[in-house]
Amino acid sequence: MTATPLLDIRDLRKIYKTRRGWPIPKTALVRALDGVSFTVGRGEALGVVGESGCGKSTVARVALRLQEADGGAVQFDGTDVLAAGKTDLRTLRRRMQMVFQDPASSLDGRQRIIDALGEPLRVHGIASGAAVKPAVVRLLDEVGLPPSAVDRYPHEFSGGQRQRIGIARALALGPDLIFADEPVSALDVSVQAQILKLLETLRRERNLAFVFISHDLGVVRYFCQRVVVMYLGRVVETGPVPEIFVDPLHPYTRLLKLSSPEPDPARAVAMAFQEGEPPSPVDPPSGCHFHPRCPIAVDRCRTEAPALRELRTGRHAACHLAT
Amino acid sequence: MTAALRDDFIPDAEPPALVVDELTTQIRVGRTWYDAVRGISFAVRPRETLALVGESGCGKSLTALSVMGLLPAGVGRVSGGRIVVDGVDMTAADEPTRESMRGDRIGMIFQEPMTSLNPVLPIGFQVAESLIQHRGLSKKAALNRARELLELVRVPAAASRLDAYPHQFSGGMRQRVMIALALACDPKVLIADEPTTALDVTIQAQVLALMADVQKREGLALLLITHNLGVVASVADRVMVMYGGDVVESGPVRAFFARPSHPYSEALLAAMPRIDGDTPLQPIAGQVPTLTQMPTGCRFATRCALRHDRCAELPPLTPVGDDPNHLVRCWARMSP
Repeated sequence: MTATPLLDIRDLRKIYKTRRGWPIPKTALVRALDGVSFTVGRGEALGVVGESGCGKSTVARVALRLQEADGGAVQFDGTDVLAAGKTDLRTLRRRMQMVFQDPASSLDGRQRIIDALGEPLRVHGIASGAAVKPAVVRLLDEVGLPPSAVDRYPHEFSGGQRQRIGIARALALGPDLIFADEPVSALDVSVQAQILKLLETLRRERNLAFVFISHDLGVVRYFCQRVVVMYLGRVVETGPVPEIFVDPLHPYTRLLKLSSPEPDPARAVAMAFQEGEPPSPVDPPSGCHFHPRCPIAVDRCRTEAPALRELRTGRHAACHLAT
Repeated sequence: MTAALRDDFIPDAEPPALVVDELTTQIRVGRTWYDAVRGISFAVRPRETLALVGESGCGKSLTALSVMGLLPAGVGRVSGGRIVVDGVDMTAADEPTRESMRGDRIGMIFQEPMTSLNPVLPIGFQVAESLIQHRGLSKKAALNRARELLELVRVPAAASRLDAYPHQFSGGMRQRVMIALALACDPKVLIADEPTTALDVTIQAQVLALMADVQKREGLALLLITHNLGVVASVADRVMVMYGGDVVESGPVRAFFARPSHPYSEALLAAMPRIDGDTPLQPIAGQVPTLTQMPTGCRFATRCALRHDRCAELPPLTPVGDDPNHLVRCWARMSP
């Protein structure tokens, strides 16, 4: 981590309103982000892990201003992202890009690759006229696709190739930071490894920073330098790789690790570790959100939400009992 | 039957509940039929879990659909071999017989429970339906049994949730309902096609534990189809690795992970990022050829580092070392 981080997220909050119930619907508040803070350094890959509904995708959407925050601050290279006006936002969007899980749904099926990748170049004045095609070919080459790909349509590519196109599009404007939301989850293992290698090369060669959102701890361990673990809208643990996986401090991180199957019969997943469902973010448990599933919870955990504390150098956990 | 019997290492008096012998399944592309599953053989005994692994297009789901007799008409067909479920030859049976086997002798669990559950019917009724259909139970008796089944799969407050609809359940709970549904008529064989792939890891662990528990208790033969070698290591007794419709390696789980022998098995393991160690990641070069472009002989040859001239001819499955239960299909890895 560098002294001044590239991205600095402080106490970020996002509340969704939902109306449920019949015959008289009630408005419920979902605290998708309940005071989330973390930083990302230049060229650093930060992993954000957690299960469905923990808010990990919302962080990316709010930080990119695809949705408006309900509180907190986001600083990108000294610029206040949440307060940025239209012009500033345009500049910021060149420097912060996103890669999605399913490139098929983020590419226009009737647009050829040259148009899909050429459009941002033209709109942002990076290339125009005859210069567009060579620029697109260069981008394709960087992600390992042949020049012949320019005239083809998204459906002509396999899942892995489409993800390469999604990455090329994110690279088109020369960003400093990429939010990657489960970029390899939909791919077969062998293709997943190819894409991870590609992202790793890009990170090193372009000094690109990543916020890498994933539920797969193995993938995060390979690609990221630091990790943020989220549970129901809150950060429960942060720390560097591999320490956070070798010796997790928060019981939830431990549960995630124990539940992740490894290809080793001697290390079968601890399958009956906990019954119980992850609680709904609509109605989170009091105190520490994790207490109903926590094997070591005490009375204090039911009433008082633990704050993130630094327990080792660079390692924080939000647990009353962690030492 | 010889090929199927060679896999049977468990000295067990119980006959296998599912026998697949030299099954070939074809898929039609344009006007031509191509072999998508090529002569695969296996047997699964009661209480045993056989995992079928491989990547998209390897033929693992087609094998499951073939066993169920659910291949899409006109597009897929079983063109050779036999499938015997609980003593009944499915391949020789007529459609009414197969229909009565499905959901009765064979239960199936799919990846996405929402596509198999009817969104406008209460789940109690959906579980009860097959009991009314296959067992001729009264509605009341069937609903009573449905409650027992939901309790068996540990749906909390099962009695009060018989009237609930699928959308009122979380993903993990829906998958439990699917398991209850598959178990309704006491099947002998359970086929689970990527049953936990759509679930979060902690819920995946719960559902796998539940399946294993129910399987041992009810004496089910479980055919588990998955792409996740971690899941295989955790729950399977035996594993078969498929590539391009061929079984390339098969064996007991411990022997397989101790000594993965086919270049494709090795490559799959090397491409998997691990939580517990800094293994360098090795992608597999290239991609699975499409059905119309499959090489003759060994179908992995185009991506294989050990490829040589002989690979133009399909190698047989031969024992790894002196282990008669651990088989590999590779000229380079054949014991001298």
